[in-house]
Amino acid sequence: MTAIELDGVRKEFGDVVALNGVDLTVEEGEVFGFLGPNGAGKSTTINILLDFVRPTAGSATVLGHDVNEESKAIRERIGVLPEGYDVYERLTGREHVEFVVESKDADDDPMELLERVGVADAADRRAGGYSKGMKQRLVLAMALVDEPDLLILDEPTTGLDPNGARKMRDLVREESERGATVFFSSHILGQVEAVCDTVGILQDGELVAKDSVEGLRAAAQGDMKLVVTVGDTDGLDAAIEDVRALPEVSSVRADTDRVTVNCDGDAKMTVLNTFEESGVAVEDFETQEASLEDLFSAYTEQQEVEV
Amino acid sequence: MSTASEGGLAGLDRLLRNTFEWYTVSKKEFKDAIRSKGLWLLGLIFTTAFIAPVALALYFDIGVSQQGQGLGMQLLLSQVYLNMVTLLLPIVAIFLGFAAISKERTSGSLKLLLSLPHSRKDVIIGKVLGRCAVLGVPLVASLAITAVFLTASRLTFKPELFGLFSFFTVVFALVFVAIVVSISGAFEKSLWSGAANFIVYFYFTFLWNAGANGVGNILSNELGVTGAIRWHVVLLLKLVNPNQAYKTLVNSMLGSGEAPALSARYGMFSQGQEASRTICADVLNGAPQAQEGVFGTIVTCAPGSGSLPFYYSDPAVVVFMLTWIGIAASISYYTFNLADL
Repeated sequence: MTAIELDGVRKEFGDVVALNGVDLTVEEGEVFGFLGPNGAGKSTTINILLDFVRPTAGSATVLGHDVNEESKAIRERIGVLPEGYDVYERLTGREHVEFVVESKDADDDPMELLERVGVADAADRRAGGYSKGMKQRLVLAMALVDEPDLLILDEPTTGLDPNGARKMRDLVREESERGATVFFSSHILGQVEAVCDTVGILQDGELVAKDSVEGLRAAAQGDMKLVVTVGDTDGLDAAIEDVRALPEVSSVRADTDRVTVNCDGDAKMTVLNTFEESGVAVEDFETQEASLEDLFSAYTEQQEVEV
Repeated sequence: MSTASEGGLAGLDRLLRNTFEWYTVSKKEFKDAIRSKGLWLLGLIFTTAFIAPVALALYFDIGVSQQGQGLGMQLLLSQVYLNMVTLLLPIVAIFLGFAAISKERTSGSLKLLLSLPHSRKDVIIGKVLGRCAVLGVPLVASLAITAVFLTASRLTFKPELFGLFSFFTVVFALVFVAIVVSISGAFEKSLWSGAANFIVYFYFTFLWNAGANGVGNILSNELGVTGAIRWHVVLLLKLVNPNQAYKTLVNSMLGSGEAPALSARYGMFSQGQEASRTICADVLNGAPQAQEGVFGTIVTCAPGSGSLPFYYSDPAVVVFMLTWIGIAASISYYTFNLADL
């Protein structure tokens, strides 16, 4: 059975198109990384899965249930770390988890879960006084109640320090080993690459790539990263335009006199010749195999340029 | 001993949880809101407002003459408490509930709530009932403290009267909380919810009567609906305002005549002779009687051969008030259910 299935899902907010016909399947037992820059539509997709927003067109199922009609049945079996949530200021950490245990009619020990995420020390303090990272851990503990079949984690590493982010990845692995499906959204590839079996990349409301991490890496390995240092920046802009126009080149980025070119593995000479032909002398160059990071940047380049 | 009672409580807790889908939400709601300091401050103000008149009477002998002692309780309820409750209690309810749902929506805690197996309906019902408990508990406590003060004062304490007054007051409070929380569910921002709530409060408290009479005038002047039907409509409209319903219930309870409910309903009108006769005889099944007074003829309404129609009786008025909880919650559910969060 499929854990998540989106079928032609479209969502408009006023005249803004947030999702433009997304088809996506996540198999049961998979750890799925849902990647994309901020504003690509990741949270809207998740909000549709949780019935927080209703799609303008298309349909979606989670664990075989329709997201709108059988939302409650879905939420019995999933654990969620939503994006843009807030905790109940006046309730303690332990009370938060107890509330989930009672809501799901589960029999978990709240303290055990709080220990697992590392906020057991603060269990009896009001959550209003928690730091951002502690709140994030608390909500993760809430998501783990009752061994959910599917974990939906929306940007789970936001607000966590590197140590916390590593702990989060460990938890995802543990949950996956238990047999849970994990749907993990992030705008940072590194978070996803380390734990996910499959990665989907969302860009401007459309799914632009979906493959296993190995598959994407293999696609990336065919690529090469060429870093060219030029002697003189006069006429560089025109030269870059010429290079960008080459069919073998997927992206070009310039940083004063250093130009980074992502291109096919055998296009090195073509690129270097184009620079020379455009009147820009190449002083030095080095080649690197492209990483998944470069591939992700290539897909979401506009965003990277803004940053 | 204590473990046995704890076991009983835990059992009850589980039973309630398994029986009512909204129970877990309302319990969380109560736990969360009851810890608000602002709320306790309001409770304190309310208790003080209740007790102050009694304390004055108790310590300074103000307004309590020898014969006043027997009637004092009625006077206190009708002259002081009745207005205090209708003006103050809805404001307390608004403070307590105007952000109940809209704040969770803005802050994002609603996302935690709705990612759990609670339907949006459970959330509305749980919120309404949870906040009702939050107002109900301090209110009952302050009424109880007031009762103690009353017994100690020179006023003759009438437990049945005070008990009934407390009951009506609690129902009135709950109705207002339900309306306030429901309005909160219909708005995206707490500010709008607060504004809408104050408009509703203002309308119920100060404008509704004029509106009901206005409808009566339109019926008679524009549509030619006259006589008893016109006044039936006006009276029903007046009674669907929880504020008016509460006042007429308390007046009926305090009335000393042989048909207090009839007098109380009749007392909701102040019309000319002819209209008053129609209202008394044809709407309320009473017997109008003319009395010559200093300012001309006054029509009073004595019990007639038939009894007051059941839909104008005190229990019916209580039912009217309670229906509001359902109406408010359904409208709120309808708007809330359609919304993108």
